Amino acid sequence: MAEKNNKKYFVEYGEPVGIIAAQSVGEPGTQMILRSFHLAGIESTVATSGLPRIIELVDAKKKPSTPVTYIYLDQKISKNFDRASEMLKKINEVRMSNLARRALENFSKGKIKIVLDKQELESEGLTIRQVAARIEKDMGLDAQPVENGVIVNMHTRNLKEIRNTKIAIMKMLVSGVDGAGKATVRRDDDTGEFYLVSAGSNIEGIMQIDGIDKSKTTTNDVFAVYRLFGIEAARNSLAVELKKTLKEQKISVDERHLNLIADAMTASGSVKGVGRHGLSGEKRSVFARAAYEETLKHLVHAAAFGETDKMRGVTENILVGKQIPIGTGSVKLAIKKEDMSKVMPKK
Amino acid sequence: MPSKSDHELVPVHELMSDKEAKEVLESLKVSIENLPKILESDPQAKKLEAKPGQIIRIHRREGKHDMFYYRVVIGE
Repeated sequence: MAEKNNKKYFVEYGEPVGIIAAQSVGEPGTQMILRSFHLAGIESTVATSGLPRIIELVDAKKKPSTPVTYIYLDQKISKNFDRASEMLKKINEVRMSNLARRALENFSKGKIKIVLDKQELESEGLTIRQVAARIEKDMGLDAQPVENGVIVNMHTRNLKEIRNTKIAIMKMLVSGVDGAGKATVRRDDDTGEFYLVSAGSNIEGIMQIDGIDKSKTTTNDVFAVYRLFGIEAARNSLAVELKKTLKEQKISVDERHLNLIADAMTASGSVKGVGRHGLSGEKRSVFARAAYEETLKHLVHAAAFGETDKMRGVTENILVGKQIPIGTGSVKLAIKKEDMSKVMPKK
Repeated sequence: MPSKSDHELVPVHELMSDKEAKEVLESLKVSIENLPKILESDPQAKKLEAKPGQIIRIHRREGKHDMFYYRVVIGE
């Protein structure tokens, strides 16, 4: 009984699932906002939404225009707001230029003085002594903490060297994770647990920190997921992101269509876009490629290299006016090679 | 069945023996080059120490249904 019911939901043989998926996503897509806009407010991390986001996903862009990482915390920490906020300090990317009010170079004495902003220091939970120690450790320089900042003694009067060192110090990472961006604490209204949202996608770096739930932390950067977890995770990430984007716009598309798109994009073992340089550009049929984009390029290439077209797809058969291999059209009469000899008398 | 994976996004991957692989290909009526692919350098394939030509069974969960997905390991 269960099996009989189950069969009802199977796709019939010859059903053009790809075309149906494309139409099912395409039609509601016309109702989406065409341009992502930003709302004024306290939310610091606004992910791209609507059509621009869908295009980004489907074209398999290497970097999302607004990377976001959702950092989930260990159970002990996630219940407590104060402890969750403490985690921020470990993650928030703080560079010297965020802390320094100004940097003064003394070329005649060969010294650089960095005046630090007390308020900024306090909010990041850092002390001048710590900053000086960090410069000594990371840059291998002679740094002395003073009342309102740090003095770096260069022991040289080479102008170029002093200027380059100053620039390097200002770019230096003082605390947090490289490429993690600025994080904020959020509360899940259903479970009451706190989690962090950061405007970066260095998920590899974030995973190194203690106190993070490594099995849940994710990012909207599909390629970051691909590098860290592999192709299957990238496929799931793609499907999840597509579903999330459509849901935000209150558009309901059956998730199997979106799963199919994600499957097709990851079938080659790496994440490929659907456009000219991806799925459409790699079709086997010459005519199908020529009918899509860059007609001459494909025809000339095919002529020069003697490509064959087996006329098995939809596009090329429409092109020549033949029945398309879909549904009942996909049935063909065939005979096995071994059986051929039985029918045809040998000469 | 192999143990749980270490991340929500990663389904369980299982390396199949050559005998099992042959049976699956026959029951699905596909040739090995028509299967979806997974790179040898893929983090999950590396974990299983899979070699090109082998098939990895993936325990997927789609909605309420458990299902299998197959990927053939390929070199770079």
